[in-house]
Amino acid sequence: MSDFKMKDVEWAKINEDVLASLETPRKAFWIVLGVCIALVLCGAAAEVYQYNNGLGVALMNNPHYWQTYISNFVFWIGMSHSGTLLSAILLLTKADWRKPIYRFAEAMTFFSIATAAIFPVIHIGRVWNMYWVLPYPNEHAIWPNFRSPLLWDAFAITTYATSSALFLYIGMIPDLAICRDKAKGWRKKLYTAMSLGWMGRATEWLAFQKTYVLMACFLVPLAVSVHSIVASDFAMSMMPGWHVTSFPPYFVAGALYSGCAAIITLFVLIRYLFKFEAYMTPEIMDKTARLTFAIAMAWNYLNLSEYASIWYSDNLFDREMLWDKLTGAYAGPVWLMLFCATVVPFAMAFKKIRVNMWAMFVISLLLQLGMWLERFQIVSPPLASNHEPWTQVAVWPGLIQMTITAASFGWFTMLFLIFCKVFPSVSMYEVKEMVYHRNKHGKKKLQDMDKIKDDMIKTEEGLS
Amino acid sequence: MRRIRKKHFLFATYDDFDKAKDVVGALNALDDKEDIIDNIELYSPIEHPEVEDLLGEFHQPIQRFSFFGGITGTILGFIFAAGVGQAMFTVQPQGGKSVIVFPPDIVIAYEMTILLGVLSTVAAFLMYSGLPRRVKSYYDHEVGVDQIGIEVETNPANNEKIRAALEACGAVEVRELTQ
Repeated sequence: MSDFKMKDVEWAKINEDVLASLETPRKAFWIVLGVCIALVLCGAAAEVYQYNNGLGVALMNNPHYWQTYISNFVFWIGMSHSGTLLSAILLLTKADWRKPIYRFAEAMTFFSIATAAIFPVIHIGRVWNMYWVLPYPNEHAIWPNFRSPLLWDAFAITTYATSSALFLYIGMIPDLAICRDKAKGWRKKLYTAMSLGWMGRATEWLAFQKTYVLMACFLVPLAVSVHSIVASDFAMSMMPGWHVTSFPPYFVAGALYSGCAAIITLFVLIRYLFKFEAYMTPEIMDKTARLTFAIAMAWNYLNLSEYASIWYSDNLFDREMLWDKLTGAYAGPVWLMLFCATVVPFAMAFKKIRVNMWAMFVISLLLQLGMWLERFQIVSPPLASNHEPWTQVAVWPGLIQMTITAASFGWFTMLFLIFCKVFPSVSMYEVKEMVYHRNKHGKKKLQDMDKIKDDMIKTEEGLS
Repeated sequence: MRRIRKKHFLFATYDDFDKAKDVVGALNALDDKEDIIDNIELYSPIEHPEVEDLLGEFHQPIQRFSFFGGITGTILGFIFAAGVGQAMFTVQPQGGKSVIVFPPDIVIAYEMTILLGVLSTVAAFLMYSGLPRRVKSYYDHEVGVDQIGIEVETNPANNEKIRAALEACGAVEVRELTQ
């Protein structure tokens, strides 16, 4: 493990390293970006095919019309949680290790929401009518149904997307000013407009710090509410397997879990692609992995308590559904989910694994697979053990659905990589603050030690 | 025609927060400070940890904007949702349900509280930080890297005295500027 503690690095070097990442990433960056663009193009072709041939090609001509697209929607909304929520919580608790990694985590939030927002549009088929979800007066005097959690979703996600984007943008302003000072050409114009004329004046810094903390205070309850509302999409129904009281906290824990796993994946990816080895240290990975492990255990507790409450409630329909989940047609994905999300995280109990970047990369991918399957097993198996016998068939995602699912990963990664290429993905001013404070504390510690030593020498001399 | 008085500044850069602190202390200690210095501005790559001790307390009640923005969001959100409930009542059969339903209206009001709270906070930030604005022509890029800038607005007649104070605390560079 590197013993680099980010105490001795010079401020100018921080600027140089981060600005260099905007110019010269590794060649692998272009390969990954190319793969992502190819995936997006495949997804676009699948969407055009679906559009021309009807939603039947996405297997929505059967009772399981809520399946892969909604699983994807919940997965991407979940992934959006960790970035902003963890950044806000760690900011409020003054955990300084967040500083080199919070920027890309917040960007991840925004792009996850942008990806999630695509799925309701794809799912409804008639994409041109998407604006009907917005509450606006019209000549028919028909408003959207405010009693439906789906409309709450529209409000919550719009609020979350707006607030997260502002949180990300406001936090970037001092760094955009640094970029403005060094850039040329189109970048200079972009950074000049976006940095709003920031010059690092005392009044700017004070207003900035206050605003940032206040926004964090708003974002923590907002993030919790968003996924609770997504949970209500299911929990407000009367379906066995969906009508579960503990769904909101369970969804929030699941969202944090998958979000943390995504942070680890992207941590390793951009550390390698943009040569951030000096800033994204094994020490920070260790802390992120510990946090993920703790959240994994909370999620597992809620998952088991859901099973236990179904088992002990003795409700015939719920128990049948649970039994069917574990032994029926969907047993494979359910057990794979339990393996990935319950067994795999125990690997993070070992420090050697926590500080090994590529081991953590593989683990994080397995955790994300587990969390995607978790969303799938929430949506699909209950549909197959519904009250109504005509819905009781197992349906698997088809080629079109899986192509669009794969494309969503390409879309997200493409947006994320473009962001990292255009904007500084490591916060320069916050890393400087971290260096400054660690140095200051280090110096103070040394001074205290010297003082204690002097006192001891004086005492010894006095005694002799 | 009214003549606009040109402003005159001395701009000094330092490589250490402590030196910047010392120089502000030295300028504040000048006997005739009130007469010769119009304004002192501090520029830094990170927030100066003791800025309010140096330059006095800044009046930036951003939290009030957050609070009142949030309250406005709650009220507007609830009125909006309840109003829409009323509008729906006239056109859609409600099946005996209440016209104004608290649980969903609270969810909408909650989201609107946060949305308007955040928007008002950002508006207050822009107002109190004086952004957006044009970057000053003499702005030193090194302030964004690793140096601390002290800008003193003064009359050209007092240049020597202030320059001496700035240099005595170890300025890397002192520049005279007119705007």
